[in-house]
Amino acid sequence: MDVFEVRGRLDVIAEELASEEEEEEATDEDVFEQGSSDVSTHTQQMKEQLNKRRSKLSQKIVEMENFASNLEEIFITVEENFGRQEQNLEQHYNEVLQTLSQRNEARAAALDEQKNSKLECLYGQLLRCGQTLDASKELIESAQELHRRPDKHGFLQAVMPVMKRVEQFAGEEVDLKLGVSLDFQVLTPDLSEVRQMMESINVLPAPSAPVMNPQIANSATDTSLHVCWSLFSDDTVEFYELYWRLISDDCTMETLQEVSQLKVKETHCTVSSLRPNAQYELWVTATNTTGISPASERAVYMTVPSPPVLKPRQCVSSLNAALIRWDSGNTDPVESYTLEFGETGTDGSGTESIVAIPSCECLLQLQPQKIYILHVRAVNIGGPSDRSEPVHISTTGTFFHLLEDTAHPSLSLSADGLTMFYLDEDLPISHMTFSDNTFNRCVAVLGDLVPVRGQYYWEVEVDEDAEFRVGVAYEDTQRNSHLGGNNTSWCMRHILTPSRHKYEFLHSGWTPDIRITVQPLRIGVFLDYSRGILSFYNAALRQHLYTFSCHFLHYVQPCFALDNPGALTLRTGMTAPAYITP
Amino acid sequence: MALTQVSSNKCCDGYQKVFEHDSSELKCKMKFAIYLPPKAESSKCPVLYWLSGLTCTEQNFITKAGSQQAASEHGIIIVAPDTSPRGCNIEGEDESWDFGTGAGFYVNATQEPWKTNYRMYSYVTEELPRLINSNFPADPEKMSISGHSMGGHGALICALKNPGKYKSVSAFAPICNPIQCAWGQKAFSGYLGPDKSIWESYDATVLAESYSGPELDILIDQGRDDQFLSASQLLPDNLIAACSKKKIPVVFRLQQGYDHSYYFIFSFINDHIKHHAKYLNA
Repeated sequence: MDVFEVRGRLDVIAEELASEEEEEEATDEDVFEQGSSDVSTHTQQMKEQLNKRRSKLSQKIVEMENFASNLEEIFITVEENFGRQEQNLEQHYNEVLQTLSQRNEARAAALDEQKNSKLECLYGQLLRCGQTLDASKELIESAQELHRRPDKHGFLQAVMPVMKRVEQFAGEEVDLKLGVSLDFQVLTPDLSEVRQMMESINVLPAPSAPVMNPQIANSATDTSLHVCWSLFSDDTVEFYELYWRLISDDCTMETLQEVSQLKVKETHCTVSSLRPNAQYELWVTATNTTGISPASERAVYMTVPSPPVLKPRQCVSSLNAALIRWDSGNTDPVESYTLEFGETGTDGSGTESIVAIPSCECLLQLQPQKIYILHVRAVNIGGPSDRSEPVHISTTGTFFHLLEDTAHPSLSLSADGLTMFYLDEDLPISHMTFSDNTFNRCVAVLGDLVPVRGQYYWEVEVDEDAEFRVGVAYEDTQRNSHLGGNNTSWCMRHILTPSRHKYEFLHSGWTPDIRITVQPLRIGVFLDYSRGILSFYNAALRQHLYTFSCHFLHYVQPCFALDNPGALTLRTGMTAPAYITP
Repeated sequence: MALTQVSSNKCCDGYQKVFEHDSSELKCKMKFAIYLPPKAESSKCPVLYWLSGLTCTEQNFITKAGSQQAASEHGIIIVAPDTSPRGCNIEGEDESWDFGTGAGFYVNATQEPWKTNYRMYSYVTEELPRLINSNFPADPEKMSISGHSMGGHGALICALKNPGKYKSVSAFAPICNPIQCAWGQKAFSGYLGPDKSIWESYDATVLAESYSGPELDILIDQGRDDQFLSASQLLPDNLIAACSKKKIPVVFRLQQGYDHSYYFIFSFINDHIKHHAKYLNA
């Protein structure tokens, strides 16, 4: 990639941004032209558009940042590659020079040796000559001495041996030839190695390190990665080898994972049989006839997560809102979730998405009297997962289920989470598993409501002889006290005495004195946060029984309890009858 | 029948008026109070009949009960008649406060000297509604009835004796079982003579035991510190037992600290009007 391509890429990003702005301005004009029918929905639309633009811009920023860091990596690698080539050549030539100087030294040493041996020889000769001279001199001196002796008798005695010695000495041949020649032998140095080395500089080098490309958006699945890399030099490459290893934040895995590898001819490859929502470290080498390149820098790619699992039992809805909950579907955390929903029967044409949901729940505003179908996806840097199995949400009334994890152990819930049974068995205390969240005195259970301060209506069906408590309580109502006996719960209570039915409307342990002549078997409960009321009705007769006036400080949840063995069934999903909401 | 307006005061955007007329049932001039809500100016409104207790006239309720606000909000006409015929000059009519003047007990008397004038039952159930329906923007199909003490007794018996006529009924500290209490026994023996079967025909507890008709929805408020409750004049337990047996829906509220006075009525009148509005405005 050269500078022009880089510039071109930046231009494309800028163009995209500009055209999107234009598009959004156009839709803005449309909206304004429609006329402000409803100021609040208009404001809502503008806010949504603002959010969309903002998130698009921040997406662009992220893209450009990624691109910039990729460029950096490329520049560094190119620099490194050329540095290496330089080093390579330098090394080669250094070797050649070294070899040459070695030969030079060797030859000089040999010449030196020759010189020394010749000199030694000549010196020896010189010494011998000197010795011979000295001997001759000595003889001559002694002969002269003798000649000078006056003693003729003695002379005649000594002269014969001396004369013999002189004759002997004069008869010796004197070698006057030089012992050595004056010529030097010139050795021809062995430069074949050097020639070989010079020739090998022009031979093909091993390739430079390739550069791993950053992960392309939406190229991964939950079990595979599409990996790409590039080569920023003119090297010939026969094949690449791609290596990968799972990286895990899981501290229980202390040893490094195994490295897997694959031989690939192209500059891209799809690696499969991977784990979802996992990070992999990848690097690649290039190989040609000369050798293997150094390994590229390691890139980290991430597989897409597994789809989440919606929890229909934990979803609650009302006329105009719903709280959706799901399980992540992945053991490791993901970046965010995306919720997609639309009305059933519209075939996805009216689908809305909510992105960047940080936790496993989402509060939605919806239209009343409709049925929606919802999916959720988990998102990480590798992209979004597949859609989860759908869940249907109805906004025809208040929908919720009994929360099993709050139920007193003596209660068993039906499969559909709408009926509770207090069985006539004496379970030993040791068999009951309590937790911080379960009621442990009152045989009670909580329900759930959308956390919105609106109006809610549900009904409870009871057996004739069921002694029950139904009402609402704060989510943190004391689990070791009875419903209505504290200031965090309000309930209607039915007590069966031998002579009559007794009804109490309990809060903080106090009840007004109220007699009811017709036993209500289907109780309507109506909660209105803004008016601060909790009302109870005999739903079959449309008869108002009692209303608590209370200012709820926090959100409340429906609560249900049985004081003796029996059953209680929840009926949800109906709109509050007309006689309740005037 | 000619109505003469006695007074008119604007109240809560509507009008509290008092009218006088010649009653054919009671054979004397009778006054009644009527509250017309703002809605009455443009359309017909349902009517709540309020029957006052011993010693009251048409004034007590409209000056002490504070009913106009709720009536205005719910668009209900409230008619409050007097508690007995007046100025008939019957001997002994002023001797006691709990018999005769101001103590009509909402029966049609059979005994002399009461039987000519003391026909409050017919006045309340027949003559007054006819009068109201023809002179005011009243919806003739939408009537409810309520009252206090003796008026509570009156409201209960009118509803129980006329199944389907009243859309709803409520009462404050009613005399639930007159044949068993001193008040009832005194009044019934004076107005109705010795025939106990006639007495029973004006007793809410007895009527409840044999009621058959469209479903009722009865709201009763009773002050716990009501002296007449402790004096066994009111006997609500008897009514509750009868209604429990016959499955007549009643919500009976025993209100701690409250007595028999209009302060008690004032405190809970809104609940009662809301109770009636549920049926009258349905």
